Amino acid sequence: MADTQLRARRFRLPKRLRNAALLIGAAISSTIILLAIFAPFLATHDLAAMDMVNRFSGPSFEHLLGTDNFGRDIWSRLIYGARISLTIAIIAVTCSAIIGTIVGLVSGYFGGWIDLLLMRLTDIFLGFPPLLLVLAVVAVLGPGLFNVAASLVVVSWTEYARVVRSTTLSLREQNYVQAARALGASPWRILLREILPNSLGPITVLASLGLGTAIVWESALSFLGFGLPPPAPTWGWSLSYGTRFIRDEPWLSVVSGAAIMITVLGFNLLGDGLRDVLDPRHKTRG
Amino acid sequence: MLRFRLLAATAALALATGIAGAQELVIGADVDAGTLDPRLARDTTAYRSVNLIYSGLVHLTPELEPVPDLAESWESPDPKTIVFTLREGLKFSDGSALTAEDVVFTFETILNPDFSAPQRGLFTPIESVEAVDERTVRFNLASPYAPLLSYLDMGIVPSDYDGDLSTDPVGAGPMVLSNWNRGSEIVLSASDSYWAGAPEVKELTLRIVGDNAARAQAFEAGDLDVIQSPLSPGDIKRLAADDSYNSNLSAGLGVTYLNMNTNNPLLADPATRRAFAMLVDQSTIVDAIYEGVDEVANSIILPSSWAYDASIAQPTFDPEGAKAAFAELGWSDSDGDGVLDRDGQKLSVTLATHSEDPNRIQAVEFLQATMQQAGIDAQVQISDWPSFSTGYVQKGEHEIALLGWLNIVDPDRLTYNQLTTGAGLNWGGYSNEEVDKLLEEGRTALDQEARKAAYQKAAAIIAEEVPYYIISYQGYHLFYKKDMPADVTANPRGTFRGMIGMPG
Amino acid sequence: MTAYVIRRLLLFVPMAIGIVVVTFCLLLLIPGDPAAVLLGQEATPEAIATLRRTLGLDQPAYIQLFIYFGNILQGDLGQSIFQNAPVSEIILGRIGATLELAIVALTMSAAIGITLGVIAAMRPGGIVDASAMLLAQLGISMPVYWLALLLMLAFAVMLGWLPAIGRGEPLVSAFGMALAGNPAPLLDSLSHIALPAASLAVNSAAIISRLVRASMLEVLNEDFVRTARAKGVRRRQVIWNHALRNALLPVISVIGLRFGALLGGAILTETIFAWPGLGQLTIAAISQRDLPLIQGIVLTFAMIFATVTLIVDLLYAVVDPRIRLK
Repeated sequence: MADTQLRARRFRLPKRLRNAALLIGAAISSTIILLAIFAPFLATHDLAAMDMVNRFSGPSFEHLLGTDNFGRDIWSRLIYGARISLTIAIIAVTCSAIIGTIVGLVSGYFGGWIDLLLMRLTDIFLGFPPLLLVLAVVAVLGPGLFNVAASLVVVSWTEYARVVRSTTLSLREQNYVQAARALGASPWRILLREILPNSLGPITVLASLGLGTAIVWESALSFLGFGLPPPAPTWGWSLSYGTRFIRDEPWLSVVSGAAIMITVLGFNLLGDGLRDVLDPRHKTRG
Repeated sequence: MLRFRLLAATAALALATGIAGAQELVIGADVDAGTLDPRLARDTTAYRSVNLIYSGLVHLTPELEPVPDLAESWESPDPKTIVFTLREGLKFSDGSALTAEDVVFTFETILNPDFSAPQRGLFTPIESVEAVDERTVRFNLASPYAPLLSYLDMGIVPSDYDGDLSTDPVGAGPMVLSNWNRGSEIVLSASDSYWAGAPEVKELTLRIVGDNAARAQAFEAGDLDVIQSPLSPGDIKRLAADDSYNSNLSAGLGVTYLNMNTNNPLLADPATRRAFAMLVDQSTIVDAIYEGVDEVANSIILPSSWAYDASIAQPTFDPEGAKAAFAELGWSDSDGDGVLDRDGQKLSVTLATHSEDPNRIQAVEFLQATMQQAGIDAQVQISDWPSFSTGYVQKGEHEIALLGWLNIVDPDRLTYNQLTTGAGLNWGGYSNEEVDKLLEEGRTALDQEARKAAYQKAAAIIAEEVPYYIISYQGYHLFYKKDMPADVTANPRGTFRGMIGMPG
Repeated sequence: MTAYVIRRLLLFVPMAIGIVVVTFCLLLLIPGDPAAVLLGQEATPEAIATLRRTLGLDQPAYIQLFIYFGNILQGDLGQSIFQNAPVSEIILGRIGATLELAIVALTMSAAIGITLGVIAAMRPGGIVDASAMLLAQLGISMPVYWLALLLMLAFAVMLGWLPAIGRGEPLVSAFGMALAGNPAPLLDSLSHIALPAASLAVNSAAIISRLVRASMLEVLNEDFVRTARAKGVRRRQVIWNHALRNALLPVISVIGLRFGALLGGAILTETIFAWPGLGQLTIAAISQRDLPLIQGIVLTFAMIFATVTLIVDLLYAVVDPRIRLK
């Protein structure tokens, strides 16, 4: 279909900005990741410790980012929340990438009825409104870290499958692949040794953009009440609670909304930057 | 505040073309009605709409007292019989006469199990309904059933109607349906066939806005003239403090409670249930999460009820007492991990509620924190209403569940079907012979004093054994604009007759 | 071309069957009983069992699925459990609002996106470019529901300029009235649609602007543009007359695909703004476990999605002769 050919020309940063985007993206992403990893050392308060007298207090030395609707420390919950968001996002993206890549490689390389069958399968998943599918899967599995991640996989593996398939289709005709085939290399060997390594560029780009998307999805699920159950300090919950108090205590939703936005921004910048560096189809052009 | 509104042009035009704004009312509702057949009504919007489109034999006042509506009088020749006399010349909105036959038809269909009327359980003590003559109906009861009158505001439907009442309603109430845009709005207009005459308000629109905060915002933006519970506590506080609106804050007819599953081995012992109850910090939940718009509860009887007794006491918040109680039951932290255990088993409990109500989620989250501090491994389970209610609590799979009951117009409605042995809504499997006897007495006793005594005794036992732990009595909150087309009488059931210039 | 269209339409059949089966399995596995939800908390177990029988929910799953397919073949999407009306009727009553919202949002996002993209491409690497692209990045990173609430708070509650919720007259009929000399309903409708459409459009506008910019830069480097400039055609004219037309080719396809995304995004937006469309209906149907209605909605979305994809592909082939439909 026409749109797969277009993906390659989607977006490129101007030269001067390219490194800046990559740098800023990498800086934001790695800061968030470090905060998440070292959360136990950086947290100033017990996550669960409620203080109903000091609800909605603003930033102070005691509470760097103030307190939430239960008087809990927002900063501590935010960095622990980063752990949850990132864990879910990483699991979801890894699984989607693996499933999508396998489907894409097989579909693109073998072609024929296998391709037809697998592409109809992806069509089925693409035909659903994604939010509806995610909600249904979480409703079936019940809320939980892995279940939320699984529900995100259901809607995001198709993108990898389609991109990898189109890369495979073009790589299959390349001389070095034809040569390997002529030399009697098994299809699996060709797929793993020749085609997969050359598809890694677009996969990496999709993955880093996918991290951002997964984080937004997770927060939307929590917002609708289908996310991880409390007291898990997910950003989505904080934002969801925050919006309940948005009129009188906007701070809570501003902080958690900003956390989501900055993180997603970081991964998107990283993804765009990586695309310019890694995507082979971009190397030769302006 | 100076407001520039694109809508200004519309308003000016509406006035010019004679669509008088003064006699119109736009009310915010939280859900769409599922049906406009009163016998099948099951959501609040349906109750409130059919309350305007239809009329019942009686009308329930804000004090929940049954007063004549379609019936002009009634009498009980014996405890198992009630005879109603209908007003003269009653008419449905399609012009046909309303007679005793229609009353019989209404209740016979409700009692037919295949009709699947949601409230059938309230009427099962009725053995038969017969039309004595055009204007006289006799209810024969299997046993005396005191709460019945409170339920006879059920709208009477025509017996010989060809259409579908659920979408094309025909009743004998003060208003008729003029347009129903599913999921969006229900438009009612004044009926000229109501026995007491047409209401002052000529057109009433129920506009559906699912989100509580969005509904409050729409009210403040002037898109809605009236909003009422359920609302976010924060919005209630802000609106109540704002002089540019009228408000009515009063006791509602609902409770928020913990349903403790007595069939669960852990919770089978009343002493354990009491110990858990001692960890419920009611006043913080009510003050902080519900921001004081609800009221701390002390028993299963509502304070607005004639049966209320302030001296009945459920266990109150007492972490030390809970600790001692658990210790007495053999629970101690023997391995020093901060969690109580007994015979190598950790003291674990699951607190559940549904995801639609953010206040309930917060209450559960707060309870969990208190329990964890007391050394209980408390887990939280949140799922959407169908999974939680029909797939979990109603199957008796819960341990401690937080939910609510509404429309408690009589003490019987919160007790008999919920807490007598083997009753249909007794999801936690509670069973106590004494309570069974008292609740039976409460529903069959003839005078109110005897009923009162029975309910108070039952409530005391329930407070002691805690199959239900009532956290709070829900408040009823109503806000409306200053220039209402008619005088306003609030009804804790959230009905609208008191807003269209009729008795509330 | 006709053969291609027929082939594509035929491909929709297995997709639709797959979607129905997948939805059916999911609904089967979701806990919660529509009969019990319908009857409410005060219903007895016997009453629930009776209603389950009436609704045919007590039948084995494969028989229910079989019956459902049989009905679909006769063009019958079944009866909604909760609304007591045919599913097709309910969906038809709602689809206009959703399409209207999606189309307005799409128009807004295309207008904003193309303008932003072209402006950014005029001086690549400049300050305007950088800020436009940063804006686009922010637009993509913003959770839609948060943006929606902020917009509502700002424009409806604090400023009071626009209504917070609901929908006016359908735009088409409001246009009709405006042409007949009565502009009020149109103004009302536009004021209602502004906030939901804006919050829905931001994401797509950002994506489109990035694409337009990239595409413009590519075209500006091509020979015919260079030739035009060499011949002394003014820069501004080159951009608007020569480059943009060619640069928009790939954009068409993405704008089409965004339409699908907008429909999906409408689920959240409609819920927040009480927009009476399919999105709001979706959430309601799920929260009531109204199985036939959910099936109908999913099928409808899939059909719209497939149709839009087909139209985009056809359009693309028409506009760009280099693409051959196979």
